[in-house]
Amino acid sequence: MSRRLPDRRNVLITGADTPIGERLARALLADSRVDRILCVCGGDSELHPMADNPRVRSIQVDLVKSRRVRELLFGPARDEQIHVVVHLAMHRSPRARGSRAHAFNVEALRGIMALAERHPTIERLVLRSDAAVYRSRRDLPVLIGEEHPLNIGVDVPQWVRDRVEADVTACARMGLGRLRIVVLRMAEVLAPGTGSQMFDWLESPVCFRPAGFDPMINLLSLDDATGALQKAIFSNHQGVFNVPGSDTLPLTACIRAWGRLGIPVAEPAMGPLYRLRSRFSGHEFRYGINKGRFHFSGVLDGSRAREVLRFVPAHPIDWPVA
Amino acid sequence: MPIPPSFARVLASLYVSDDEFERLSDLHYQDAGHGYDAFGLHPDFVALGELVAGPLYDKWFRVMSRGHEVIPEVGPAVIASNHSGNIPLDAAMIWMDVLKNTSPPRVPRAIADHFVPSLPWVGTLFARSGMIGGSRGNTKALLENGELLLIFPEGTPGIIKPWAEKYQLRRFRVGHAELAIRHGAPIIPVGVIGAEEQMPLLHVSKRLGKPFGVPEVPIPAVPFPLPVRYRILYGDPIPVHEEYGPDDADDPDLVRAVAARVQAAVDKLLKEGLAERKGVFA
Repeated sequence: MSRRLPDRRNVLITGADTPIGERLARALLADSRVDRILCVCGGDSELHPMADNPRVRSIQVDLVKSRRVRELLFGPARDEQIHVVVHLAMHRSPRARGSRAHAFNVEALRGIMALAERHPTIERLVLRSDAAVYRSRRDLPVLIGEEHPLNIGVDVPQWVRDRVEADVTACARMGLGRLRIVVLRMAEVLAPGTGSQMFDWLESPVCFRPAGFDPMINLLSLDDATGALQKAIFSNHQGVFNVPGSDTLPLTACIRAWGRLGIPVAEPAMGPLYRLRSRFSGHEFRYGINKGRFHFSGVLDGSRAREVLRFVPAHPIDWPVA
Repeated sequence: MPIPPSFARVLASLYVSDDEFERLSDLHYQDAGHGYDAFGLHPDFVALGELVAGPLYDKWFRVMSRGHEVIPEVGPAVIASNHSGNIPLDAAMIWMDVLKNTSPPRVPRAIADHFVPSLPWVGTLFARSGMIGGSRGNTKALLENGELLLIFPEGTPGIIKPWAEKYQLRRFRVGHAELAIRHGAPIIPVGVIGAEEQMPLLHVSKRLGKPFGVPEVPIPAVPFPLPVRYRILYGDPIPVHEEYGPDDADDPDLVRAVAARVQAAVDKLLKEGLAERKGVFA
């Protein structure tokens, strides 16, 4: 049975050194309902930029190591009387592959949830999931509800597979124990450093796209992503919620808004072209990850988040972001 | 189409008058933020659709329509029509007819088979003018938004019919009835006369459409549609929204009975229309 959370909450943020993590920490500091913030940065990261604030404590933890996670939760997190864990840590680059990446993306979350169940103060976990967990196919609805089929399959890249597994791992634990879990399936955050495939794609002066297709996409701003996380922290509900952004537009409109040149190319050329780009310029965009949504429209339906969490996207993207 | 709305508007202005553009500014649709709705509809592309369908409607098929005043000004409704003609020009003519005869203008959201959104260019152009792929989630969202759906309950078997079987309805599928009952929408039966004769069928190929996932491709006897006269007849709405509650949509017998009722109403309209017409081109 979960205990009632106090009105003023202490929050632990994993992935606090990411743009969303930093923005969230800043927003929580300005929020009178938050007392202490424990910022967990990657093992090789510098300390959090707000570490000198007396209400912020910043530590470096390698979440791949289960011993370190245990020491984090039953050390600093217990000392700070953390009530809510916001889990943002996830490899942003599709280059991160193999068992170590999987351990970071999935096993770390599994460990945090198991330990949080018997933690003296943690009552709530908020997972930032991703719209990439949803399958995109011609016979599936354009408006994506939370019950939409997930992108599971042997041919799915690890970048997506790990996100699906982390999401499902959190969902499977919902209601089984004391920990109240919220999974926020966010539309793509179009901002640098967030692991946005779309941002990386738009970084080129020329954007290739499959000829004849112009699907509708939905994008989220950093401010709205932070706003949704805040709503989830202070809500007492648990469940899975889509978090759409204010910007719903066709792919070509996105290219134009960014001031790029869109060139339609035959579908079979898309994969090789972007493999070459990635090899020679080190870009992160992978056509295999984005193939479905470059053909078929997919827009998150945020009605559950609106009704339960009272989240409504209110900050359109300020084009161009760069 | 992967072109900007401003360019679509310039193209459309070749046919669409300033008054019509003004009328289209009252179009009922849910702008998702950049002038498009979540499914891709944009008013300037609706005008572009008029550029494509308008001359066919006015000059080529000289469409006569009767009973369109039954279309509600607002709120959800399902238009259920017979399907014929080997290429979906009947859908384009109903689309044009509803757009022209409603005030404020309403775009009927035609429900297409799953393969249509995966057709390059065509899928995008159709989506911009209001078509959606036939999934349960799409139709549910649109009816909840109070939109007008255009459904062909015969499906693909209806559009590809041998000449000898023209105006013989294929058995209606039941999805339209279930949707209307569940979402409290009246069903408006529609009979289209003329499309059956526009392109007589020569052969059906299963091989040609394979690369695009199209189940069957009709090979017509003529290279372009004949200038037959179209007649679009609207019947009295079947008020399933008043007769049943949303939970009744779970009763398969009732849903089948409603679908059969709709089929009978469409069949009656076809018989009336065929009895009235003096000739295929008249």
